[in-house]
Amino acid sequence: MSKPRKHDSSKITRPPESYEPWESHNRIPLPVIWIALALGIWGTAMLFEDQTSYTVAQSAREAGEVMAHDAPEGGEALFLANCSTCHQPNGAGVRLAVPPLEGSEFAKAGPEVVARIMLRGIDGPIRVKGFTYDGHMPSFAAALSDSEIAEVAGFVAARFGGNAAELAPGAVAGLRGAAAGKDSWQGGAELATLVADLPPQPAMRAGSEADIDPAISDLIFAGKGDVWACTSCHGGLGQGVENTPRLAGLSGGYLAGQLRDFRDGARYNEHMAFVAKGLSDPEIDGLARYYAGLRVASTAAPSLGGDLARGEEIALHGDWPRGIPACFSCHGPSGFGVAPDFPALAAQQPAYIASQLAAWAGGHRNNSPLGLMDQISAAMSEGDRRAVADYLATLPAVPAVGPDAIAQLEGSDDGQ
Amino acid sequence: MNRYLPLVVVALGILAFATLMLVIAPGIQMAQRSVPEGLRPYSEQEQRGRDQYVSLGCVYCHSQQPRAPEQAPDGERGWGRPSVAGDYVYDRPHQLGTMRTGPDILNVGARLPSESWHLTHLYQPRAIFDWSIMPAYPYLFEEKPEAAPGDTVVVLPEGFGPASGVVIARPEALDLTAYLLSLDRTYPVPEDALRDDGYARKEDGL
Amino acid sequence: MANDHKDAVEKGRSAKRVIFAAGGGLALVALGALVLEAGWVPTWISGRVADTADAESIYFQPPTDAEIPEGKFGDAIKRGRDIFMNTSTNAGDYVGNGLSCSNCHLDGGRQPLSAPMWAAWTRYPMYRKKNDQINTMEDRVMGCFTFSMNAQHSVAGGPPPHGSDIYRDLESYMYWLATGAPVNEKLDGTGFGKVEKTELGYSPERGAEVFTANCAVCHGADGQGQKDANGRIVFPALWGPGSYNWGAGMARIDTAAAFIKNNMPLSQPGKLSDQEAWDVAAFINSHERPRDARQGDASIEETRLRFHDGDQIYYGKELNGVLMGVGTPDPERPIGAPELPIGPTPLE
Repeated sequence: MSKPRKHDSSKITRPPESYEPWESHNRIPLPVIWIALALGIWGTAMLFEDQTSYTVAQSAREAGEVMAHDAPEGGEALFLANCSTCHQPNGAGVRLAVPPLEGSEFAKAGPEVVARIMLRGIDGPIRVKGFTYDGHMPSFAAALSDSEIAEVAGFVAARFGGNAAELAPGAVAGLRGAAAGKDSWQGGAELATLVADLPPQPAMRAGSEADIDPAISDLIFAGKGDVWACTSCHGGLGQGVENTPRLAGLSGGYLAGQLRDFRDGARYNEHMAFVAKGLSDPEIDGLARYYAGLRVASTAAPSLGGDLARGEEIALHGDWPRGIPACFSCHGPSGFGVAPDFPALAAQQPAYIASQLAAWAGGHRNNSPLGLMDQISAAMSEGDRRAVADYLATLPAVPAVGPDAIAQLEGSDDGQ
Repeated sequence: MNRYLPLVVVALGILAFATLMLVIAPGIQMAQRSVPEGLRPYSEQEQRGRDQYVSLGCVYCHSQQPRAPEQAPDGERGWGRPSVAGDYVYDRPHQLGTMRTGPDILNVGARLPSESWHLTHLYQPRAIFDWSIMPAYPYLFEEKPEAAPGDTVVVLPEGFGPASGVVIARPEALDLTAYLLSLDRTYPVPEDALRDDGYARKEDGL
Repeated sequence: MANDHKDAVEKGRSAKRVIFAAGGGLALVALGALVLEAGWVPTWISGRVADTADAESIYFQPPTDAEIPEGKFGDAIKRGRDIFMNTSTNAGDYVGNGLSCSNCHLDGGRQPLSAPMWAAWTRYPMYRKKNDQINTMEDRVMGCFTFSMNAQHSVAGGPPPHGSDIYRDLESYMYWLATGAPVNEKLDGTGFGKVEKTELGYSPERGAEVFTANCAVCHGADGQGQKDANGRIVFPALWGPGSYNWGAGMARIDTAAAFIKNNMPLSQPGKLSDQEAWDVAAFINSHERPRDARQGDASIEETRLRFHDGDQIYYGKELNGVLMGVGTPDPERPIGAPELPIGPTPLE
């Protein structure tokens, strides 16, 4: 090609002195125009696509926030959302397990009594409408605000007790102050001091205080040579934070089983493996007993932007066509757990629940009996996992239970 | 170059437009939003730790910006809610980072709230994760035959500590840990927080 | 020279063609991608399946609780649902164990192959061999109370009498669940399904192993179910005094095997093989449970000949030298009977 160029160069005529060069321009080639047009159309279309996605996301989020902030209005909605898993929507309770509200002596006694019970919860035998119930009611002090408690108490007293007395939110604030720092009501025997004309109530069992072994206590609060203190991550009361789980009130059988799984590698988590490999069997049992006996108010709150209504639907009813049974069909009707294999879910930290569901779905946690949770988690969409985690965080924590009742609940695991 | 004026005008115009759209407009937008109530300024010690963080170049491997669920499963990884602009009010220089060689740590103080965990991990990450590729920072610590009162002893499993004596955290390590523990953006975001809602799939909503 | 020029022109033309083709191709690709992204392509080309499609099922879709109408009919449906979900409380006088309808009819009577109510509703009145007569739905539900809920040990001592509001409310619920279902047609998902007979037959011994591996985690190693901290039954008892009696359909091994195969373990239907389902059903039904409510003063052998002849059931047969069907001892007091008042000295 060098030859012709030389040939051409000799042919060039010299331009005049004052010549200013200019560039003539050709037409832009057709393909370039096509590409530019196509990209333009694509870009515009994408802009609209994104705009709709943006609007969808924003409206979904705002709807969720509205639901979280001022969702249930009125005592009935609050009652259905917070009380009906145990006391049932019709207030009939559950035979031999949960006392009825309908016609109950305590509902008849008026909203103040109801509010005081809600603020502290009940632990121990109580006699309602001729039947003795030996159960445990959680405290709603942390879960509901003064005005919410006033509304629920007013609704319960009016609907089920026929007592239409009014209770002002300000009065609840006073009751809350009076209840602060107090343990749950010790059965009907203590409530008899509150309500006049109660039929005789069963006596409270003499409780025995559970002692913590000082060595276990050291382990929990100070750690030892190659083990960090439990409280340094799980919090001083075992309440957990973010994806560090709440331990307080989980069944001892479950906790001990998980610690052994961490130690043996059946459940994989580096932090817990580090800790658990330094623990002996008696230490594991001591730790499990300690945390099973802790009763701590909920510190969890919805934080994942999940759809609470969808979460409630899954927790209470499941989504059977997708193969998701109700959470509570195994973890207990209020999420308080069923020892030893089904841990309490109520008031668990949402980030922890969501990360564990994701771990099961992704095959990173494999120690669920029969692989139950693996399949259920995999059947849940990412949004469902966040929804259910957020819903569980709205529930009150496992109710106060005396040490004897804990021993009774854990009785079946001693053989393990 | 006989038409330099239009060239210069156009070039300056583009520059001005870019500055307006990429710097000034976002700046105004961010300044209008309120600072989250739960966010507190760094303490002096935490700020010293933050300087350590900057000088050690942690940002080259750790981001500080959890993404929305539509973009990445950060929530399920336990890294916290998607961050909003207000979360960074006190961060100068910001340490957003672009690399995720290690995990995002905008909420590390919430998800790993244990000081002793962080000290062990800074001294020797392999003591906890045998597969970790994070460098160890032994020069933030010193070995002593015996812990003096007020010393913070690092918890170490067998084989990772010195043959005899104990490992003590220097002030630099304590400062850095204090900063890491202060990284906790789990408070609720204000209503008007500025955040990225993009990339939500249509099926997710409505 | 001329050739060179011609070549160059030719080359230039082919280059131009290549550029045009590539440009046009790119433009087409961009447009195609746009069309695909926007979802304007029919699914049979793109192969994409919409997310909502996987929730579709081959079975009839009953309405959800949110669709319960307002008014008196809606109230009846809700009462019926409450009885269905929490039978031992809302129809407590007629339930002699802790079971609820929803223990076997999962998802509030909606789940296909767990005898869904929408399928049952459209098939009654119907002739049943069990009592050799035409049964109305009320007769059928009465049978559930009599056998599965073991009404003989309840406060009332028997099922709700004919015409009781309990039937009316339950039937309202079922009628509503079957909204839009074709009548007089056997729908897919009816009953518990069937499990093919296996070559090995069934054996309680093999079933015991299946039970320990798959069932004990929920129903307990002793098959007595589990309760939560408040004493609420979470997992029902499979045998013993708190379970269904010998007259219940579930006491037949083929029925139990079908239920287990198609529904258990919860959330993992079909996990057990046919053989395992038969074996574990045999194991569960090889335990003693409350006596057949129809036995009356008759002997076990007479009852077996009259009601169980030819059934896949251990009733009236000897198993390891023990005669089955004797029944668990009657409770001292019916379950849920009013308690004695607490006197001045509290009972403990």
